[in-house]
Amino acid sequence: MSGMSDVFFLVMRRLRAPLITLITVYAISVAGLALIPGTAADGSPGRMSIFHAFYVMSYTATTIGFGELPRPFNDAQRMWVIFSIYLSVIGWAYTLGSVIALTNHATFRALLARAMFNWRVRGIAEPFYILCGYGQSGSRLARALDRLGNRLVIVEPRSERIDRVAIQDFSTPPLTLTADGRLADVLADCGIRSPHCLGLIALAGEDAVNQAIAIGARVLNPALQIVARAKSSVAKVNLESFGGVQVINPFETFAFNLGVSLRAPEALQVEEWLTAALGTPCPTLVRPPRGRWLLVGYGRFGHEIASVLDREKIEWKAFDPGSPGDSDRRLQHGDYIENILRDRNVDDADVLVAGADVDAVNLGATTLARRVKPDLFVVIRQNHAQDRVLIDAANANVKFVQSDLMVHECLQLLKTPTLSRFIGYLRNADVTVARATIDRVLAEVGEGAPRAWTIDCDAMRPGMFSALFQHGDEPFTIAHLVTDPTSRQERMNASALMLERSDKPQLLPGDDIALKPGDRVLFVGDDISRRLQQRYLDEPSTVEWVRAGSEPPRGILFRRWRQRRLKRSSRIPG
Amino acid sequence: MNLEKVIFGFFIIFACTLNFGFFIGEIDRPELHHPFELFAAVVVNLIATVLKFGDRTQLGATHLATSLVASFQLLAASMFWAWQLYVLGSPITSDGISTIVSLSGGALLANVFSVVLLLGETLRQGR
Repeated sequence: MSGMSDVFFLVMRRLRAPLITLITVYAISVAGLALIPGTAADGSPGRMSIFHAFYVMSYTATTIGFGELPRPFNDAQRMWVIFSIYLSVIGWAYTLGSVIALTNHATFRALLARAMFNWRVRGIAEPFYILCGYGQSGSRLARALDRLGNRLVIVEPRSERIDRVAIQDFSTPPLTLTADGRLADVLADCGIRSPHCLGLIALAGEDAVNQAIAIGARVLNPALQIVARAKSSVAKVNLESFGGVQVINPFETFAFNLGVSLRAPEALQVEEWLTAALGTPCPTLVRPPRGRWLLVGYGRFGHEIASVLDREKIEWKAFDPGSPGDSDRRLQHGDYIENILRDRNVDDADVLVAGADVDAVNLGATTLARRVKPDLFVVIRQNHAQDRVLIDAANANVKFVQSDLMVHECLQLLKTPTLSRFIGYLRNADVTVARATIDRVLAEVGEGAPRAWTIDCDAMRPGMFSALFQHGDEPFTIAHLVTDPTSRQERMNASALMLERSDKPQLLPGDDIALKPGDRVLFVGDDISRRLQQRYLDEPSTVEWVRAGSEPPRGILFRRWRQRRLKRSSRIPG
Repeated sequence: MNLEKVIFGFFIIFACTLNFGFFIGEIDRPELHHPFELFAAVVVNLIATVLKFGDRTQLGATHLATSLVASFQLLAASMFWAWQLYVLGSPITSDGISTIVSLSGGALLANVFSVVLLLGETLRQGR
């Protein structure tokens, strides 16, 4: 709805009675003063004019009090002025009281906040993301996106969470609204139809809420990128069947990654490195033993891990105090710790997954199990942000932190979708490809985690047009794209990881591959290279220079001259 | 009977009649147009305008617009009067009073529209 006019109409409606009172008070006072017989300048009887009466009442009623103007009053006039003063003070007190009450009114404040929010969102002239839900994952994702230079619009129904935004460290403060993102008008006010809106991320606590937000957003703007969290597989399937929504199930993703690390740990290593914070050293290979697995906690998290283990044909045992309905014989009920120590469970096990939804239980299980078997491979789950220090101190081999994983996955989907496709292909490819990827990045870029970006061979860009269509005898290759545009002999710290041509991927393409219109190349490298590489997209002269080694003529005269010369030279052999 | 409707109708019609009372009479004869009548018309018109605040319907918006027009015309007329009399210091001549009365004539037209809207609304609801 139109926010500002809501506020305006509410003000007008509420101030109707005070304004009419004020007009009446003024009318009575002015009329009385103008009707009472007064004394003219020469002492003869005469009345004060309406104009002068209004003047006197204007300064008297507002308690300014200039005195008796334009000439001294007689006593009859003074009596009337006494009366008018008290009358007008009451009138003003009533009016001001109403105005102050209005500004404290909850409805008015909510309307005003909404109107201001609406107005600010419409004023955003740069790309922004809408974030629904500001819990643990939401706040971490917000800060990550902020550091990457994106503006944010945050919607969260709980005001105490919204209040946290103000005290957190953002380079550009996000716009916030305390409202339910499931409502279509809330999403509309967040600027979901704005041409600057890049995407919507639904990270509310409940699956049903995320589902409603994602579907609403998809209907309002079908072209928008929508990422939603779904903690249950039912919600995930529902949303995926709706189409156009990218769904992340943190438990499933983690279990899936664990499965990848069982089969091809190198693929996971590439994923972790390429999506880590810039400059992070390459992580060590995590290779969990296949052996026997003990699962502490058999909720949604335990279920997902168990199903991956089943697929991998790995033996497992699970402990959970609840869920007696499940009749799997591998599942035991009762107190966790008691079960772990009984029947030599730990002695036989190789891996412990401490995946209960209580951090104390996970820590306790880890400590107890390690006392029995110190070299146990431990996967631990952290549930609450405040337990981070304790979980870190447990020094597990693999750590599952839902908010970490959500931030990771969301950033991949939002910022570098090509990279996440690349990693998807890598998981299914041979292990050697993953190993080759790490070697190539280490050799061509360096030790620290690189930045990833995509180059579109878009013929609409002037540089790319020149590269793809002009002087077609020498093709424009990936090698050209990694050449330093400031010095032709040098190679930039950038490396091509994948070439997508009509949706068919080519992993680790060679430098000599000629580019075609519509190609998409995934690069990793440092920031300087990324910025320098943009020149190939926009500057035909750079393209020509890197190809031929000479700066092309820019003026029309020189260009004609060169064209003529080229034509003549091409005619000689023919 | 609705008291709010009575008050609403009262002020709209009262604004129109006061306006008419000031307007009637030969346009260039100051003695036929009393300043107090203009004062009363201004006050009642202002009250009528405020009464129309906050109605978001199309009819309400038109109502408010007519009242705003009438109030502005009457305020212009009274300001012209005060300017002529006190700032320029000349008595109200036939030239001056005809300007004032013609301004109030415009306000009268707006007030008549307002009454027509009121009657139209009433008749529509009666059916």
